Amino acid sequence: MSVATNAADIVCVSVAGKVANPVLSGLPAEPYRLDADGRAFLWPTFGGIVYNVSCGDSAFGWSGDCVHPSVSISHPDANKNRGLNVFACVGNEAMIVSGAAKGEKGVVTGKSGRFSEQVIIHFPVDVRRKIAVDDQILVKAEGVGLALPEFPEITFKSLSPALFDALPKTVEDGVLKMGVTASVPPHMIGAGLGLTSEGGSLHIQSTDRAELAAQGLDKLRLGDVVALQDTDSRYNHGYLRGAMSIGIVGQTDGPRAGYGPGLTIVMTSPTGQLGSHAAPEANIADILGLTA
Amino acid sequence: MTGSEGHSLATNESTLVEMAVSAIVTTPAVRPGQYIPHPDGTGAVLPGMYGITYNVRCGDRAFGWAGDHVEPGVSIDDDGHSGRHHALHYLNCIGNDAMVTSGMAAGATGTVIGEHARILVQFDAEAHALMAPGDRVQVMTRGQGLTLRDYSGVALKKMSPRLFHAMGITEADGRLQVKAAVELPIRIMGSGAELNSEYVDQDLMSGDRALMAELGIDKMRLGDIIAIRHADHHWGRSYREGAVSICICIHGDSIMTGHGPGILTLMTARAGEIDFTLDPSANLADLLKLGA
Repeated sequence: MSVATNAADIVCVSVAGKVANPVLSGLPAEPYRLDADGRAFLWPTFGGIVYNVSCGDSAFGWSGDCVHPSVSISHPDANKNRGLNVFACVGNEAMIVSGAAKGEKGVVTGKSGRFSEQVIIHFPVDVRRKIAVDDQILVKAEGVGLALPEFPEITFKSLSPALFDALPKTVEDGVLKMGVTASVPPHMIGAGLGLTSEGGSLHIQSTDRAELAAQGLDKLRLGDVVALQDTDSRYNHGYLRGAMSIGIVGQTDGPRAGYGPGLTIVMTSPTGQLGSHAAPEANIADILGLTA
Repeated sequence: MTGSEGHSLATNESTLVEMAVSAIVTTPAVRPGQYIPHPDGTGAVLPGMYGITYNVRCGDRAFGWAGDHVEPGVSIDDDGHSGRHHALHYLNCIGNDAMVTSGMAAGATGTVIGEHARILVQFDAEAHALMAPGDRVQVMTRGQGLTLRDYSGVALKKMSPRLFHAMGITEADGRLQVKAAVELPIRIMGSGAELNSEYVDQDLMSGDRALMAELGIDKMRLGDIIAIRHADHHWGRSYREGAVSICICIHGDSIMTGHGPGILTLMTARAGEIDFTLDPSANLADLLKLGA
């Protein structure tokens, strides 16, 4: 169903970044991270061009730590990177403006936060094969300022108006109920709490695999729309009874304590105006027709 | 002390290495546009972090200050980027001795009472009145590597032998019995889930003010010993059913969503090796007789 928005008032502005390279820490060049059991592991993690993980794939089972599907970009200047990370919205169009894949179009599918601060963009694999690290990618950023006149308590974060229109939703008794594949209880929310909700990511924590399965969170796919219970994301993410946030799975699972699939938060309300209903089809790869 | 099953609280403390790490007294740093948001977005400018805090000491209330993340005592850090910052963070332990080594208060001795982005040390009020930003303070670090001979499942983090012995820990039914002033529900543990458990703290999320009052959390004092069920703090901080972590409150409340008083890890166990009883007097200021 459609819900009235102020989309006609939203300003669409360019932001840009370069295709990122994976980074490891400096001397003594210790490459390992520790998993939640204290074991050292060495797996690919965020950044770079990822050829074989795409939005729509499983968020679990990869030999990787919070891997960004497809292509990740960042700007080398910290303030400009913040502009990129805040203004880019899930569903925005991206265009490659340098290199062998110049002119190819992609779609923003997520963002990452503290320690990486990148924007994640889907391109088909044949395009990925032509992209080089440091190629320039422009995002037509549109969505910051989005609001719903009939639901003044709902705040948008990082969501394109067109994608909002396409997401499954219903209105019942004055509550906007977004279609979601799963609902995350507050004790399963980890890294990203207390950090900015205008960009970055908020992670489901997956250390306790039995609890993860019991909550129906172990089958998530990249691109799934999920609800976060008792979560207020208006200004940073935090616990508040009765609040709700809606997120889109942007990154894969990972073995570090406090981490798991990363979510880009796109909607929030401190009151009961925002709700959810089960909708197994709520995956943005399917909704936007993203193909590997 | 010998337990009912022949266990004991024997430690390996005779093997610990005591080592000096030096820092300087910090001075508050303010970024351009220093406003921080309340949960409803209202901006505020508040003191609390860095510097010498003259009128807030360990043992005082954690809530209700016209401040944000108030750090009791003196906040010290490295004055360069030489790696001393991390040496301080990873080697200091709560309850370690500190000594002023330059300036008008040279020779004064104090105690490590917490670790935020800086190390928090407390001296007597007369010494605080004489200290100035830039004065050198040295921590005689001792405690990293501390283990319990008969409780291999119990990890000690940033625990000085002095504090361990002062906590009044007993044994019953093969488990450690710890006295804690406050129990926190895992679902309100927030900012800091992304950090190592030896590095800084994890804030409790105080944004649900009604819940703070309902559970009496708003009576928390700086220095209170804190217990959290289902919190595994071995390598990072994550939800794990049945785990118990024992922590200490090291800084004051915050207005920001996802933040609140800082909770620093002291002990953690997964398999029931730690249990606790509530005792409002379980506070660092009393346990170490730090004085008002």
